Amino acid sequence: MVIAAGAANDYLSLANAPVLWILALTVMGVVVVQSLIYMNAVKKNAESAGMSQLEVRTAFRAGGVAAIGPSLSVVLVAIALLPLFGTPPVVVRVGLIGSAATEVASASIAAGTMDANLGDDTFTRGVFIVALMAMSLSGAGWMISTLILTPIFKRSSHKLEKVNPALMGIIPGAALLAAFAALTFRELPKSPTHIIAVVTSAIVMSICLLIANKLHAQWLKEWGLGISLLAGLIASYFAHYAGLGMPES
Amino acid sequence: MSNTVATPSHEAFERTTTRWGSITLFIAFLIATSVPFYLLFVADAEVDFGDILTGFLAVFAVYGVFYVVEPLTYFPILGPAGMYQAFLIGNVSNKLLPSAIVAQATIGVKPGTRKGEYAATMAICGAAIIHVASMVLFVGILGTWLVSIIPEQITLIAQLYILPAILGGVAIQLIFSLKQFKSTIIALVIAALVIFGLVKLVPVLAPGDVAIVVILTIVVTWFTRNKAVTDRKASDGDENIGIN
Repeated sequence: MVIAAGAANDYLSLANAPVLWILALTVMGVVVVQSLIYMNAVKKNAESAGMSQLEVRTAFRAGGVAAIGPSLSVVLVAIALLPLFGTPPVVVRVGLIGSAATEVASASIAAGTMDANLGDDTFTRGVFIVALMAMSLSGAGWMISTLILTPIFKRSSHKLEKVNPALMGIIPGAALLAAFAALTFRELPKSPTHIIAVVTSAIVMSICLLIANKLHAQWLKEWGLGISLLAGLIASYFAHYAGLGMPES
Repeated sequence: MSNTVATPSHEAFERTTTRWGSITLFIAFLIATSVPFYLLFVADAEVDFGDILTGFLAVFAVYGVFYVVEPLTYFPILGPAGMYQAFLIGNVSNKLLPSAIVAQATIGVKPGTRKGEYAATMAICGAAIIHVASMVLFVGILGTWLVSIIPEQITLIAQLYILPAILGGVAIQLIFSLKQFKSTIIALVIAALVIFGLVKLVPVLAPGDVAIVVILTIVVTWFTRNKAVTDRKASDGDENIGIN
């Protein structure tokens, strides 16, 4: 289901304009700058939390290594969108808030309002712009509400902390467990292959962690996510093409 | 305390990350939003304002509630600093939080502690650098070539099953590294009841399902906590003990 652009794809040269390349690279640059500022802030203040510089570096490396598998999978999804939207818009939309799945859904909903479909002749220059505009404004919705809500949440959490300091020690762990339990369960009813993907990934991760603990192999804790993600995708491949997949919509 | 600027402190960390986190998020918002406006002005495509409004409202009808629900869901996990990272980069559940969990497990710290928060911030920075490198190199520069050589069957599998294939492993790593038996059971039971029960009975709640599970789990964990363990500060330093 690589989505190809229809015959009326004269907008693609427009979508790959040099100005848009510059905007796309600049926005990726902003992400890097933000990370550098944050890294510096942690390094400077780590001592106040009893965290050594070695632990700071280890946390950075572990996070980077863990992101390799998910990043490559996102790349596979993102490049499938290139023939439809052009390269710079895909980098901006998938590279910032949102995910490939959200963006495709938004584009398809917006195109629908103009009686057009993704990937066929009805997807003209005008539809492309309306779809991209809708995706961008929707992405902006997330960013603006984060800018408005974060200071409000911050004030309330400081108030809660004053009421009972133990609260802020309990909330993050409980919230994390809850979020991942809910996100995982939400995948299960989608198709038998979804169940196979979750279970395979979970089993392979368990094996990785057991070995990592037995052999004190820290690297395996870092690479475990990449390995279990790959195993989950390979199992999904065989299950999907054995007919256990999601019905094509 | 004459030299407060140079003294390592959590206040300094929060000040820097809040100021620069919100500034960078705002700049990225301006740049990203300028992309379609640039196209609109140079394209000569006879798109009128009504078409754009209709298109956006249709998308808003589906996703609008998430603008509020997602920040509400992730704030208790990310804290203020992490919010500006997460809602700049996106891919929160499939990339950033898994990275934070892996990093906390690797150095053996728990969420809800200062050290846990700093480890998560560094991990998200590491993930952000990999994210940008992969987007620029494999999508930006090599993307058009890659899409011509990678078989469609493989792209389709990544598209459909990337999330479940990440979540299974992350859930296990989280459970192993937190070692909080009671909270884990509470979270699993509430998630099962909400996802397989409540949302099926009251489908209108579906967009808020994860947020409902998060809030209920926090409340139940709080009221069933072992007060003797949680409601005191560790004697050395100001770390909270965390969940039990």
